[in-house]
Amino acid sequence: MSNQPSVKQSSAHGVNESKQTDEEPNLKGTFASVMILGAFIIVSWISVFILYMYR
Amino acid sequence: MHLHKYEKIWLTFGIGSLLVFLIVLGIGAFYQGTQPPSCLVTIDPQNVQAHESFKEESLGLQKVGENEYVVNVLASAFQYNLGKDDKGSPVRTIRIPKGANVTFQATTTDVVHGFQIAGTNVNMMLEPGYISDFETTLDNPGEYTILCNEYCGIGQHTMSAVLEVYEP
Repeated sequence: MSNQPSVKQSSAHGVNESKQTDEEPNLKGTFASVMILGAFIIVSWISVFILYMYR
Repeated sequence: MHLHKYEKIWLTFGIGSLLVFLIVLGIGAFYQGTQPPSCLVTIDPQNVQAHESFKEESLGLQKVGENEYVVNVLASAFQYNLGKDDKGSPVRTIRIPKGANVTFQATTTDVVHGFQIAGTNVNMMLEPGYISDFETTLDNPGEYTILCNEYCGIGQHTMSAVLEVYEP
């Protein structure tokens, strides 16, 4: 975050922020689902295009 | 702003696909000149005979050049008018040689109809007041059903004709 918290808030806030950056959330499953969905959209598009060209 | 490594990958992938699809769309529209079948060519639906393509004698299959055909179709509830044969009875089947360049030109005199040749890319909506046209080359011999795929009334299921693509 670019906005620096004020001095008073920094103690409580700073602990929270450093915690978040140290432990990144595990996004493996999300990544896999996004890529599977993307692959599905591209495969559907290509199949419709092939069908269109063949007819 | 902090972004997870995976987020960067799928955002790049998503924005990249969007760009690819937009470029494909742009090439189709601006370079190849793809248009919808009905593209602002108007006609008076009360008096379609005034238009040269939809006079009684112009309807149906017309040979306009070497391996080049035009099919003029007048749709109304619940039939496609494809002209009359030598005996004066309405044409129900049109025969086109394989590989010929064909332009289907159609309009309607009453309500919205569809014009689909099942199993081919020919599929358009016919709106009163507009001429729809579709240029194609039919490369696969066979018998195809022409049908109305827009609900036009109680007899819609009877609205059909046949297109035969034969080996020349």
